Amino acid sequence: MKLAVRNLSYSFGEKRVLRNVELEVDSGEFLGLMGPNGSGKTTLLRCVMNYLRSDPGSILIDGRPIQEMPPEDLAKTFAVVPQSSSTDFTFSAYDIVMMGRIPHRSNRLAGASKKDADAVQSAMERTDTWKFAGRPFFALSGGERQRVVIARAIAQSPKALLLDEPTVYLDINGQLEVMDLIRSLNKKEGITVISVLHDVNMAARYCDRIALLSNGWLEAIGPPAEVLRPETIQSVYGVDVVVRKDPFTNAVYVMPHSTLSTAPRHGGRVHILCGGGVGGPLMKALLDAGFGVSTGVLNVLDSDFENAKDLHVPTVAEMPFAAISDSAHLENLRLIKEADFVVVSPFPVGPGNLKNMEAAKAALEMGKRLLVLRPETGRTVDFVGGKADGIVKDLISSGAIPLCSSDEMVREITREGVRK
Amino acid sequence: MRALPRKESVSEGVDFVSVMRRRFIWLVLLVAGLLLSSFVAILVGSIGPIGPGEPEYMPFDEAFGIIFGSDANYSESHINIIWQVRVPRVLLAAAVGAALACAGTAMQAVFRNPMADPYIVGVSSGASVGAVLAGIVGISTTALFGALMTPALAFTTALVTVFAVYSLGTVGGKVYVNTLLLSGVAVAAFLGSMVSLMIYFAGQQFHRIIFWLLGSFSGASWTGFYVVALAAAVGILIVFIFSRDLNALLLGEETAHNLGVDPESLKTIMLVVAAVITAAAVAFTGVIGFVGLIVPHMVRLVVGADHRILVPAATLTGAIFLIIADTAARAVIAPTELPVGIITALCGGPFFLYLLRRNRLSGEAT
Repeated sequence: MKLAVRNLSYSFGEKRVLRNVELEVDSGEFLGLMGPNGSGKTTLLRCVMNYLRSDPGSILIDGRPIQEMPPEDLAKTFAVVPQSSSTDFTFSAYDIVMMGRIPHRSNRLAGASKKDADAVQSAMERTDTWKFAGRPFFALSGGERQRVVIARAIAQSPKALLLDEPTVYLDINGQLEVMDLIRSLNKKEGITVISVLHDVNMAARYCDRIALLSNGWLEAIGPPAEVLRPETIQSVYGVDVVVRKDPFTNAVYVMPHSTLSTAPRHGGRVHILCGGGVGGPLMKALLDAGFGVSTGVLNVLDSDFENAKDLHVPTVAEMPFAAISDSAHLENLRLIKEADFVVVSPFPVGPGNLKNMEAAKAALEMGKRLLVLRPETGRTVDFVGGKADGIVKDLISSGAIPLCSSDEMVREITREGVRK
Repeated sequence: MRALPRKESVSEGVDFVSVMRRRFIWLVLLVAGLLLSSFVAILVGSIGPIGPGEPEYMPFDEAFGIIFGSDANYSESHINIIWQVRVPRVLLAAAVGAALACAGTAMQAVFRNPMADPYIVGVSSGASVGAVLAGIVGISTTALFGALMTPALAFTTALVTVFAVYSLGTVGGKVYVNTLLLSGVAVAAFLGSMVSLMIYFAGQQFHRIIFWLLGSFSGASWTGFYVVALAAAVGILIVFIFSRDLNALLLGEETAHNLGVDPESLKTIMLVVAAVITAAAVAFTGVIGFVGLIVPHMVRLVVGADHRILVPAATLTGAIFLIIADTAARAVIAPTELPVGIITALCGGPFFLYLLRRNRLSGEAT
């Protein structure tokens, strides 16, 4: 089955919901439809199933306009799984799945046959719902109910599944349960899947391709790694995100930053001495609190270097795995000089970055207010034979403020205020 | 140590064959119940054989003889009582009960609401206006159409009302059930006040009108039975033909569409069918409440919500229920009788509340 959407537009009265959408879905593909609320995802899905009537010829299945297909043929092509299904009537799970056989009846008077019963049982066994087939549908949990509805879709023996945020009302367990089931139907049985998904990472993980809609336009379509770029997401959703690769699956994943404005409100800047990843939460907390942030000295490839890059924080960088050079150290001191506060995070100290501790000492000598975050264990991670711990003690005795958490740090800095 | 055998596998799955067998048994039982209740109901009456036997008593063997067409020489008046009074009355009660229960089932599916009933789109209030009008003007006593004038007028006003409500609830060929429901309520309230106004000025017709409004089979005739039975038979058949489509509709219009069912035409067909059979029933017997609401509800609790079984089972149960209710209406204060609508509401109201509470307490859907 090949689905082609050709120059599809759709309006509710005056309001245009879809504008000139063009896309093709191949047999056996898993396509995710994404976009902000109101971007037209559900409308597109409803046009494809011909529930909303679009212009003839705008949607084709194997070259045939869906608007001209008899309802039973369409019902044998697409099976729809809505966001959630509920009914006030006491249908059993079995009754619900049996409804999937309605398009296959020979005539109106025909009841369910043994063949229908077999199709229902096999669909329910595949979705692991056979064990509660006799229970009332409304008495099932959200995940079980959604699996029953998927069983109904399978009993319909369609060529493609159309899903509208099938996991939106489910907990994390139910979400994975349902998505894994859909993927196995897609991979093992070759059923084409077109699903509206709201969770970017879910989409990145399961979809072959993602179609990103924005305001009725098809903004981008392609493999997740191509579509889910920070620039694209920023322009469609208006949020800053970081895109990383999952080290185990190589799938991309997306982490949103806070939507709070990160523009410095206080006009001051805090310089963080960090490394090894301990600085990330501190940078984020200070940015969220409205302070400007800089860091140093960090090796390229260090996780704090990545953090600083993702958060657009100015950084003094050093070559990967190299010891801090004099030029980098001087640059670090320059940033310290311009900063209002200097924070010593509990970063692991080794011979290569011992200079950062010296920079802290220099900061005190410059008269900067120095805050020292103590590691949770109480001892600095030290690869220089206790030297680092000694320096930290010296710093505190010469006027640095010892702190235990990033919350405490933000409070302290906010309380003291930025010296004008 | 041996592992214990797993017990849960016993309750796993659904045995299709045994479900079908159970449904078949239900239908056989209900048909038997219908025959039995009809037969007993025909024996009940003021002259007996089940009854006070005043002013004279008709023994069982005579009644059986008359019913089964024996050649023996029975009194002409007894034959008339059985064949011109009791039999058409029991059959009419059965037809009306079947029609109302079936219409109620269809309406509950269309509105996707187990609280809907056959009168929800204004059939009863519309019919009342016609019937009360006929009663006041007195055309029911004119020679030309005689007793058929009231039903004819009630039927007409009922359908006009339903058409008005349907038009109010339809926008651009799409039936909006919530709008339809509210239009039905508003129109019913308006027509109800018109009926009250007419009753207020009705004078000596007052008692007759109230009797009609509460519903009664006292005016039963073969003609009435033929009309109602014909309408009910055709209507019930149509609803049954669409029973799997109704199942799909209960999961929402989008799902119904996806299963190849056109929700718009289905809703329209069901509304028209339910309105016509309800209007036919109401025209001859007045407004009998609660049957169309309670019977589908009660039957659904027993056989489940699948309309393939629900439609026939509710139809049969409705027939049985009204036969029994009418028999009670005749017997409770014999030789006078109560309007059957009072009996159905008296039994139906509390029973309905009981079901409602029970389901709420056990956390089930209604």
